[in-house]
Amino acid sequence: MSLTLRALLKSPWVFHLSTGSCNNCDIEVLDCLTPRFDIERFGMLLAPSIKHADVLLVTGSCNRKSAIRLKRLYEQAPKPCVVVAIGECSLSRGMFIHSYNCPLPLDKIIPVDAYIPGCPPKPEAIIMGAVKLIQKLKGTL
Amino acid sequence: MYVLYLILYGFILTAVLGLIASWIDRKVTARLQYRKGPPFLQPFIDIIKLLGKETLIPREASRATFVFAPVLGFGSVLIVSTLLWANNNRLFNSFLGDIIVVVYLLAIPSISMMIGGFASGNPLARVGASREMKLLLGYELPFILAILVPIIKSDFSLSLGEILSVQAANGAFAGYASGILALIVCVAVMQAKLGLVPFDMPEAETEIMSGWMIEYSGTGLAIFRLMKNMLLFTLPFFLIILFLGGLNLSGIGILYSVLKYVVLLVIIIVIRNTNPRLRIDQAMRFFWGPVTGVAVIAVILALIGK
Amino acid sequence: MTREEILKDLKQRFKEDIVNFFDKSPKRVYMEIKPESLVKCASYIFKELKARFNIASGVDSRTAIEILYHFSLEYINLLVSLRVKLNRNNPQIDSLAPVFKGANWIEREIHEILGVDFKGHPDLRRLLLPDEWPKGVYPLRCDYTEWDKNAIRDRGV
Repeated sequence: MSLTLRALLKSPWVFHLSTGSCNNCDIEVLDCLTPRFDIERFGMLLAPSIKHADVLLVTGSCNRKSAIRLKRLYEQAPKPCVVVAIGECSLSRGMFIHSYNCPLPLDKIIPVDAYIPGCPPKPEAIIMGAVKLIQKLKGTL
Repeated sequence: MYVLYLILYGFILTAVLGLIASWIDRKVTARLQYRKGPPFLQPFIDIIKLLGKETLIPREASRATFVFAPVLGFGSVLIVSTLLWANNNRLFNSFLGDIIVVVYLLAIPSISMMIGGFASGNPLARVGASREMKLLLGYELPFILAILVPIIKSDFSLSLGEILSVQAANGAFAGYASGILALIVCVAVMQAKLGLVPFDMPEAETEIMSGWMIEYSGTGLAIFRLMKNMLLFTLPFFLIILFLGGLNLSGIGILYSVLKYVVLLVIIIVIRNTNPRLRIDQAMRFFWGPVTGVAVIAVILALIGK
Repeated sequence: MTREEILKDLKQRFKEDIVNFFDKSPKRVYMEIKPESLVKCASYIFKELKARFNIASGVDSRTAIEILYHFSLEYINLLVSLRVKLNRNNPQIDSLAPVFKGANWIEREIHEILGVDFKGHPDLRRLLLPDEWPKGVYPLRCDYTEWDKNAIRDRGV
C-alpha cells in the first residue's frame, strides 16, 4: 500500500452533508466530535470545505432536488474520496421508500463504501463504522 | 554554501520544529477541552496525505496566480527563516538593513493568502481575502512601531547581528520598561499574523467555510499548511531575537532557549483557547486604538533611555 | 372578551355562512364555512379578533378536497380552524394572500401539491417541487400514480 494511501487512513478529514434528513443523524455525527467520543485522536478533523474532504458523511434520504447538488459536490471532492452512508434514510430511504420525492436510494446516485444502520445510530456505532471502513481499505477486514 | 544553509536550516529544521509546535498546539488544546489529542506524528501525516490528493482548479479562477500564490508565500518564509538562523548562529555576517528585509518578507505570507483568495473565483474566498487585507492594514502599524524599540536601544543600528550583540553585552531588551511594552504589542500582533483565534476571521471559519482557502486542494493546500506551520516557528523566533536575546544553542543554554520558545508558544495557545473570535471592525479598532497607543509609549520610553 | 363571548359573537355574525360548528375542547374549535365567505370570515378573525395565522393544511378526502386555515388566539389559549370543502373536479377558492402576507407561500405549496386554484394570488409559482416535475400531476391526491420510470421502489431483499 502506497505511502499516501497509508497517510490517508491515518488522517481522514470528514465532511458532513445532509441531503434532506430530519437532523437527528446530524446531531449524532456532531456528538462524535465532543470530548466524550473524541475522534480527533484518530486524526479526523471537520473539513470546512468540500475541497479539503476525504470522507463524505451523508445523512438523509436523497430527494430530487438534492440529488443534483449531491452529484455536483461528489465531483468536487478530490479523489481518493470515501463515502459513508449514515442512518436508515440514506441506506435505503427507510420509511420514505414509497414517497413521491425520493426515487432512488443513495448507492444508485454515488458509490458508497460503508453503511452505518440505525435511526439514529449511536456515536459508538459511527466510530465502529469508521474503524471497519479503515480496516476494509487496508484489506484486513 | 548558502544553498546548503537554505535547505538545511531554512527548510528542514524550521519545518520540523514548526510541525512539532503545531502538534503541541493541538494536543494542549485537546487537553484543555478534556479530551485526548492527536498522536505525535499527526501534522506530518496531514502534509503527506495532502500531497497525494488530486488538485482541482476551478473554472473561474485565474490559473497561473492560483497555482503560484502558495509558492510565493512558502518562498518568503523560507528566506526569512534562513536569515534568522544565520544571524542567530553567526553563519555569515549580517548586513546593514536586514531587519527591514525581514519585516518586508514577513508581510508576504499575508499577501500570498490574499492573492490566493482573490484568484479563486469564489465570492466566499473574496470575502476572506478582503478581511485579510483589512487585518494587514491594522497590525502593520503597531508592529513597525514596536520594532523601532530594539533598533533605538541598540544605538540606531539596523542589523540583526548588532541587536544580538548588544543584548549579549547588556542583557535582554525585555528587561527594560520599553522592551516589555513592545513585547506585549508584538505578541498581540503575532496572534493576528498567525491567523489564530481572536483574529482568525479571514480563514478557518464556519461562517465563510474557511475563507481564502476554500478552493485549494492537494498540493497547493499542503504548501499553504506547511507555510503556516513554519510561520508558527519563525515568528516567535523573530521575537526572541529582537527582545529576548536569541537562542543560545551551546551547553546549558539549550534548556534556557527551549524555555523561551515554549513560554511564547504557551502564551499563544492560552490566548487561542480562551477567546472568542472578533469581528473585523472590532479588530481594526483594537489595533489602531490601544495597541498603537502602547507602542507609541514604548517608543517614547526607549527614546528617553529607559 | 372571554372565550364564550367570542364564540357566541362568531356564531351570531356569520350565521348564514357557517355550515357546521364543532366545539371540540377548551383549546380547539372547528368552524366549517362555505367557500364563498372565506375572505370575510378570515379577515374578521385576523383583524378584529387580533388572531395569529398559523398555517393552512389541505387534505384530499375521497369526497372533497378540504382546506383548513388555523388561527390562534393566544390571549385566551384558543385555536380556531376554518374548514372549506371544495369540489374534487375543479377546486377553486379565493386567495387570502392580499389580506395578509403570511398566506402567500402556503397557498403556493397547496397549489402545487393538491392542485387547488387560488384566484387573486399575486404569484402562483412552484415552491417545493423540482422543475422537471410534470404539470398537472398532484402528489398528495388520492389518485396519484407513479409516473417516474426510473424509480426503484423495492428494497432488493
